This record gives sequence, structure tokens and C-alpha cells, in this order.
Amino acid sequence: MAEQDFSLNLEDLRPRLAEKKHLSEYFMPRRHSFILFHPDRCTGCGACEMICSMRNTEKVAPVSASVKVVRDEKEGKNFSILCQHCRKPLCLPACPTRAIEKGEDGIVRIDKLFCTECGLCTMACPAAAPIKDPGSKEIHKCDLCEGDPLCVKHCPENALTFTRGKAVRWIKGLRWTSQLISFLLLVMVFVGTFCYFRTGSISFACPTGALQNIASSGTIVLVGFSSVLPLIILTVLAGRLFCGWVCPFGFVLDLVDKITPKKIGWPSFLKSRMMKYGVFAGAVGGSYVLGFQAFCTVCPIGTICRAYGVQSFFRSAELAIIPALASLEIGERRSWCRYFCPVGAVLGLTVLLRMIKIVIGAKRCKKFSCIQCAEVCPVGIIDADKLREGLSPKIPMTECIMCMRCIDRCPYDAAKIRFRWQKVTPGEVRR
Amino acid sequence: MKNGKDKIAEAKRASGADSCVECGRCVAACPMAEMYANFSIEMSPRGIIKKTLVGDPVVEDKNIWYCTECNAGTDTCPQGVSCRDLIRKLREAAVDGKILENAKTCKCCGRAFVAIPVEDFVFARLKDEPANVFGVLDICPPCRREAYLLRNA
Repeated sequence: MAEQDFSLNLEDLRPRLAEKKHLSEYFMPRRHSFILFHPDRCTGCGACEMICSMRNTEKVAPVSASVKVVRDEKEGKNFSILCQHCRKPLCLPACPTRAIEKGEDGIVRIDKLFCTECGLCTMACPAAAPIKDPGSKEIHKCDLCEGDPLCVKHCPENALTFTRGKAVRWIKGLRWTSQLISFLLLVMVFVGTFCYFRTGSISFACPTGALQNIASSGTIVLVGFSSVLPLIILTVLAGRLFCGWVCPFGFVLDLVDKITPKKIGWPSFLKSRMMKYGVFAGAVGGSYVLGFQAFCTVCPIGTICRAYGVQSFFRSAELAIIPALASLEIGERRSWCRYFCPVGAVLGLTVLLRMIKIVIGAKRCKKFSCIQCAEVCPVGIIDADKLREGLSPKIPMTECIMCMRCIDRCPYDAAKIRFRWQKVTPGEVRR
Repeated sequence: MKNGKDKIAEAKRASGADSCVECGRCVAACPMAEMYANFSIEMSPRGIIKKTLVGDPVVEDKNIWYCTECNAGTDTCPQGVSCRDLIRKLREAAVDGKILENAKTCKCCGRAFVAIPVEDFVFARLKDEPANVFGVLDICPPCRREAYLLRNA
């Protein structure tokens, strides 16, 4: 008979309350207030330390403050380290007595009743923001002065700002509207327009389709090139805006993503973003061998554009490609666009001539404590590890579908669109 | 060797360990019981105080390296014995005697800043977090703040 374990642990004595999520938070995540630090304004005067220690221990002693001003005399840099009230705090699991809790208002507090002042929260924090008072051995950590921080009021250079981030996420509404309108137009009004369209001398063609056409027929028609130009020019000017804002199949994938929020993820040996260039080469080569547009018969974008007004049985059989590829969404968001789409491959090659780029200035954001941009990115190109280290991630624009979710979501205006030749990222000062 | 004995005598004097009445309140309050599955009387503050008073070789013992140096035992002691100070002094003696296998030294400044079992506990608690957090945890808190400044300012 196995020995029964009668020992009580912390979970039995003080059960952790289940996290409640309001229905409204699925549509609009709550914006918690926090203190943002601007390194370019700080002079290292230490007024924040002094006023904070005044609140903590009722005497001016910078060592017992919850904020720490660190100076680097060589580089001439100042920084005040304070608790960022992370979205997923590392100090919270590390505390052996579970004295640290994140409140509903987003403030991470240390409960003085349970705190044993062991200092493991300092060990776990990437910025070592909880500070041990060498005198009283207490741990001091910012609690935002319960919503009215003194350090912000007393900073002479306004290097600390108390903010809740930006309120209106208008790009989101704009993008969904654009996607819906273009879906309705391409699928219902101008049936089949995306693949090929011509009135008089004006013509428009899908670049992948046009290249397959050239390969299969073996004749180069200059008019064919001019019909490809609108999409190419749009891509050069604005990146792969088509993929994020117009593509009807991308719209379907975004809708499918809404009903499959849990992702299982693909094994890493299957994931190669170069695969889509292989599919593109295969499509063009296959067209040359077979003598017809090989990929266009199964292209999900083309199929969806030609779907309205079903004329034959074969057309409806062709439609089966859409649920088949949309089911890839259970693995990763926009799996088709990431790994396979040859239209995206052509646009990705065009983006090599790009005018604009997206930059994320890590100097302006909360870095390891936020990382919302990497979470919302549907193609997963924002390097979360770089952000955790506090460095600005480099975004590969050939993969970026310009959905601008990162720009929309970032509460600190750290994600921005810049021209390709601009070197300075947001929050940086040119010295 | 005489030097080591002096250290232990000083540790006893600084923490007031001589006045321990072995009530066991510090063991009841000690968060190590929650932290380690193999928590035992040898590891507990009472066990270490007893070992020190009896005169057993305590500096070489691994059990002094499990403590997180918190205030719980010191706060609750009716005799005012500071088990935190005792263990800190014993660790100092161990570091002076070049017994360093259980102390983690900072990669930047070389200071011994945390005990390996305590760090293992933190790592076990943070094992679901992304891996490169652990690169940050190799540095002592003041150096970490300095590194944070250099990256971000």
C-alpha cells in the first residue's frame, strides 16, 4: 500500500483565486496604468528616489526607496529602475510564501503580512526592481502609490510619466473594414477580378498568375507586365499591404483564427519561410511543363474570387481547398501565408525594393514586461527574445504582411512605420 | 583552523545563538518547508543552531546553503536569536575557507550572491518562462541593474 501524503502546502492553506476575465476584455484588453521612463530626459538627480523613500520610511534615505537611479559615468547615461508591473510577472511564481499578487488594476503588490523579506523576487526580476533595504532588510517595490505616483509629480525633467497607453485602436477597425469591403467586392461584385480583369485598355492581373501564364504559353506579352504593375507598385510603396488589408483568403484566415484561439504549433522542422518561394518556383515550372497555369487551379485566393455564382459541379469541388487550407490555422496563425502562399512569395520578392519598414524602438517600450507586439503578430516575425533582452528587434519586411497590428497594439508608440533610409528608431536620440 | 573557529564564535555572538531555547518557532515559520521537498531538521534553522552550539563541523555542511536569508525566523524568535545572521556569518566563514561549491558567483563582478539550492528553486519555479531569462539570472542584482542601464539608456 502506497504511503499517503498528508502534508499541507501553501495551495491548501491559501488557495489562489482563479483569474476572471470579463467578456469585454476579449474585444478590448484593459489598459492598466504604469510609469514610463524616458532615458533621454533623465539627469540622474535622484529626486524620485528621495520622495519614494520619504513615502516608504518617512525619512529621506535613497537606499530605502522603491526606485533606483543607476548612473554610468563613462557613457553619461542615467536610468531609474522601477517596477514595470509586468503582464506576466516573474517575481510572482518565484515568491516562496506567495506574498506577491497582481491585482485587478494591474498593480503588482507585495503583501507585507506574508513577505519574509527573503529577496527571491529580486533574484527573479530581469531588472532587479524589488530593492532590499540594507537597513531594515525590508523589500521595497513600487506599488504606483495606489494610482497617484509621487515620483512622477516630483521629477523635475518629466522623465517619468504616468500613463495608461493610447486609448483608441483605430487601425484595427480600419483594417477589418477594408478586408470586409475588399472581400465583398472581389468575391461578389467583380467575380474573378483579382486573377485577371480587363476593360478596354486597362487590365489587371495577379502577378503569380501572370508569370505562370508566361511560363505555360512561352510568349512574353508586355501588356501582361503592365497589368501586373498596380499590385507591384502598391507593394513597393506600402509593403505587402495586399496580404493584410485586401486578400480575401487572408480575411477568411483571420476569421477562422477568431474561432480557433488555441494554437497547437507546428514542429520546427516543418517550418521554413523559404517554402513559399519553392511553391512559387514549382508553380511556374509546373506551368511550363504542363502547359497550363498549374497553381491557379488550386489557388485559394483565385478559388475564393471565382466562387460566387456556382456554375458547375467542378467549381464547388474546387472550393474544398479553402476549408482544407483554413484548417491549417489550428497550428499557427496564417500558416498558409507564412509558409506556402506563392502570391505572397512574389510580393515578398517585390518588397526587396521597398520604401518603408516597420520599426520597434525598444528604448521607448516596456520590453520584457509587455511583448504584446510579438503576441499579436499574425505571421510571428517579431523576435520576442530580442525584446526580452531589451533590444529593438529587426523585422524582416519580406515576411511582414503590413497588418499593422503591432502599431495598433503598442501602448507606448514604440512601433512605427519609417522610411527605409531612416536610421533612428523611436525613443532613440541621435547624438 | 583557529581562524575558522573564531568565525563561528563571532557568528554565535552576533546572532545570540547561545540563548536559543529550542522552541522550534523558527522552523514553523521557515519558508524552506514550502520550498524544498527534502526539508529536514538538519536543514532547518533550529538544526543549524544546535549544530553550531554543539560544535559539530557546520561550515562544511551543505545544509547551511538552503536558507534564503529571510526574516521569518528572526521575527518570530522569543529569545531574539537571529538565525539569518547566524547563517550569513557561517556562509561568510565558508566562503573565507574557500568552500565555494554551493555559492553562485556573479558573472560580472565575481561576488558570491546566492546559494545554488536557492537558485535552483527559483529556476524550478520559472521553468515555464522563456529560456533567455536565465541568462539574466546569472548576474547579481546590482550588476543586472547596471547591465539594464547600458542596454536601455
